[in-house]
Amino acid sequence: MLGCQDFCGYYDWTFQHLRRTFGQDALHRLWAEAIASAQQHYTNAGLAKGLRGLYETWVTTGEDEQCDWTFTLDEDRNVLRWDMYQCPSKGHLIQNDLFADEDYCDHCMGWIHSMLDRIGAEVMAHEHNHCGQCWGEMRIKGKPAQSLAGREGDITADARWQRGYLDRWQGKVKLPLLQGSPHDPVDVLTQWFADSDALTVLGRGPSARDGWTQDHLSGAVIVTDPTYVTRDVYDGQPRAVLIGDEPKALELVAERFLATPQNERPLLMHMYLPAAPMHAFARLELPRPVPVLPLLVRQGLYRHEPHAPYPTTGVFALLLASALGKHVTVAGIDLYQHDSGRAYLNDQHHPGWPAKHSEACDLRHIRFALERLGEQACIHPHLTSRLV
Amino acid sequence: MSAPDFYFAVNEIFRHIHDQYGMEALIDYWHKLGSEHYRQRNQRWRAGGAGVIAQDWREYFSHEPGAEVSVIEQDGEVALDIRICPAIHHLRTHQREIVDYFCEHCDHVCGAQADAAGFAFQREGGMGSCRQRFVPLSVAGVA
Repeated sequence: MLGCQDFCGYYDWTFQHLRRTFGQDALHRLWAEAIASAQQHYTNAGLAKGLRGLYETWVTTGEDEQCDWTFTLDEDRNVLRWDMYQCPSKGHLIQNDLFADEDYCDHCMGWIHSMLDRIGAEVMAHEHNHCGQCWGEMRIKGKPAQSLAGREGDITADARWQRGYLDRWQGKVKLPLLQGSPHDPVDVLTQWFADSDALTVLGRGPSARDGWTQDHLSGAVIVTDPTYVTRDVYDGQPRAVLIGDEPKALELVAERFLATPQNERPLLMHMYLPAAPMHAFARLELPRPVPVLPLLVRQGLYRHEPHAPYPTTGVFALLLASALGKHVTVAGIDLYQHDSGRAYLNDQHHPGWPAKHSEACDLRHIRFALERLGEQACIHPHLTSRLV
Repeated sequence: MSAPDFYFAVNEIFRHIHDQYGMEALIDYWHKLGSEHYRQRNQRWRAGGAGVIAQDWREYFSHEPGAEVSVIEQDGEVALDIRICPAIHHLRTHQREIVDYFCEHCDHVCGAQADAAGFAFQREGGMGSCRQRFVPLSVAGVA
């Protein structure tokens, strides 16, 4: 049977199934219709007692789901606010290393807007950081309302709020992910690279700086964070930087990024893998990196396997490039088997495969990417030889 | 996190997919959920056989609020004697209209899981209590 203990896991899987099978709108309809119907008790409570009814229902749910949150009702100010410190639902996914859908957290706004419509109320604003923290404020329509932001318990003052990337709503409108950008991270990535016909993906293997690579560099360059910091593999200004799951020098990334004129700054990107450490990008005054997994999941280039090896950062960058459908040159992905015996350009020793990665996993994903690219791929001969 | 109100969403998701896309799409959803989402669980079942399947269900039902279930492993097969189905019980307690094909999700989700593990799935009864069996494909006469 399908129980309730692992509901969040198959709920997440259901979202990607709906998107993949019936399209994006189908998922929004599921939330607005089916899930809002499932939450009929909220509608009933809201119709009977307005914001107080919702407050009482949410408090009961919070006890059932063991939410670490505060729910604050101020009827004089016509506002009902929650501050979620650790979402048990997203927490279930993080704890179990689950990531089937491109954006699990969106489901809450998906049904709440619809439920509030039915009782004459609305969302004032909402934000979530995809790491289990969020807040939201609701009000009865047609009456003045006053935000409770900035009071004690405001999650945005918590250190955990500095992690992740933010989805933000003003009423029913989802706001841009970055200033002046679309709100959908897939569109942000597509738009960022729109003026480049060609991309070069540089991994950190020794082949990244040999003669072949120098001869074949073309278009916008994508590097990983150690390259951005050390400039060893590439000393130009990359178009984008994919920050790996365990960046060792995030402060130095911030230092270079913030010292770069605004119009020359690269796009910062990150995988936000569920079981990887969460980084406080905002604490360093960095823009929160754009997530790449939504694009890869939507295009069927990546499916997360819980507790299994996942691609190295260079291979994720290659998957991203293939998803963008450009001509792609790839070098520096040597699968830790370069003839020099070095794993990375500047390492003398060959440490073998890092934890959480494997040759089989990297090869499988490289093949996905190259299959997608077809004739548009220009692969370093070293990697070509490994693919035979 | 075992919050029984999640059963409300399960029931409504089934209704929505059925009403919007048809029974075939609902069965396809259930089947893929069993074979894809539960892939790693199915691999453990395949590797461990009936003993692992039985232990898995004992553990699973111990976290389902209101469930009254006996799990019996005998002669290489596993039987679940579900006296109180926690989902049906909770939906009825809260006067939710239960889709009349609710129990079929077990046939297809568990069926896909059983198939991946080298077992056949059988169910007798439903809508509150039933008996489910995981029978090795060789015994079931399928292989």
